[in-house]
Amino acid sequence: MADKETVIGIETRISGEIRGSEDLVVKGRVDGKIQLTHALTVDKGAVVQADVDVKSLEVSGTLVGNIVASESVRFHPSARVIGDLASPRVMMEAGAAYRGRVDMGDIEAARAAVAARAVSRPAASGGAAVRERPAPPRVSAPPKTAAIASKAGPRFVAPSAGDRTVTAPATASTPPSFPRVAGAVAGSAPSWAKKKVRRR
Amino acid sequence: MANTVIGSSIVVDGEISGEEPLTILGTVKGKIAAASSVVVESGATVEADVEGQTVTVSGKLTGNVTAREKLELRPESKMVGNAKAPRIVVADGATFKGNVDMDV
Repeated sequence: MADKETVIGIETRISGEIRGSEDLVVKGRVDGKIQLTHALTVDKGAVVQADVDVKSLEVSGTLVGNIVASESVRFHPSARVIGDLASPRVMMEAGAAYRGRVDMGDIEAARAAVAARAVSRPAASGGAAVRERPAPPRVSAPPKTAAIASKAGPRFVAPSAGDRTVTAPATASTPPSFPRVAGAVAGSAPSWAKKKVRRR
Repeated sequence: MANTVIGSSIVVDGEISGEEPLTILGTVKGKIAAASSVVVESGATVEADVEGQTVTVSGKLTGNVTAREKLELRPESKMVGNAKAPRIVVADGATFKGNVDMDV
């Protein structure tokens, strides 16, 4: 629609919130929050200190903040990133520096939960949640997974859950798992993600 | 593209500051402090105090404007707020409400 793409130039700084439904390229600096229904690119030399909620994310610069990307995340070799990350497809190239927690399973459940809440069937989703909560102890695996997934959704939206701090030591074992993550990207991410959720 | 462009479907809530030309097609609320030019394109909405070398308005601007060189209100533009600049151009068709200070 827009004949020009949105660019935050090298010598420009925005502190505050950016929302929108078009691609955004940051070459300069943004502090605050970025919320897009499209792609965000953090160029080499750019510094973004913000919580990011986008469709897809490409980082070549520096990004500090929590990331939710509904489609994919790619860290290029020059990327320097700190913050928790939730996305079904995560690509990290050799040379990228990252510290944080990666979650490739919960994002869709989180999105679905958010969508279900937003769309006009709050009674149905609310009822299901109430029915499923006592279910796990006595019902077989598949519903249990669903229950965990549905619980996991809201948990991710509010990033304060104690669960995360408990699993924090697991972050140490995260780097060795990256090759496996990269391999899983080629295959079907959802089944792998589900397995992981069940294991936890 | 060295310049900064805020696209038509982007909303910025906060402060924009920079050394390079800024073009706004979307919405900006807050404050704009540019060392270079600021262009508010037609269709854009700015609710902010604006400071720049030259400020050109074709869209809608609400807020006080300080231009170190020139403020230009193009036809179809709408501006509400105080204008401070050594040179001010108001085109036929522009709407303006506010004080003008040309340092006389």
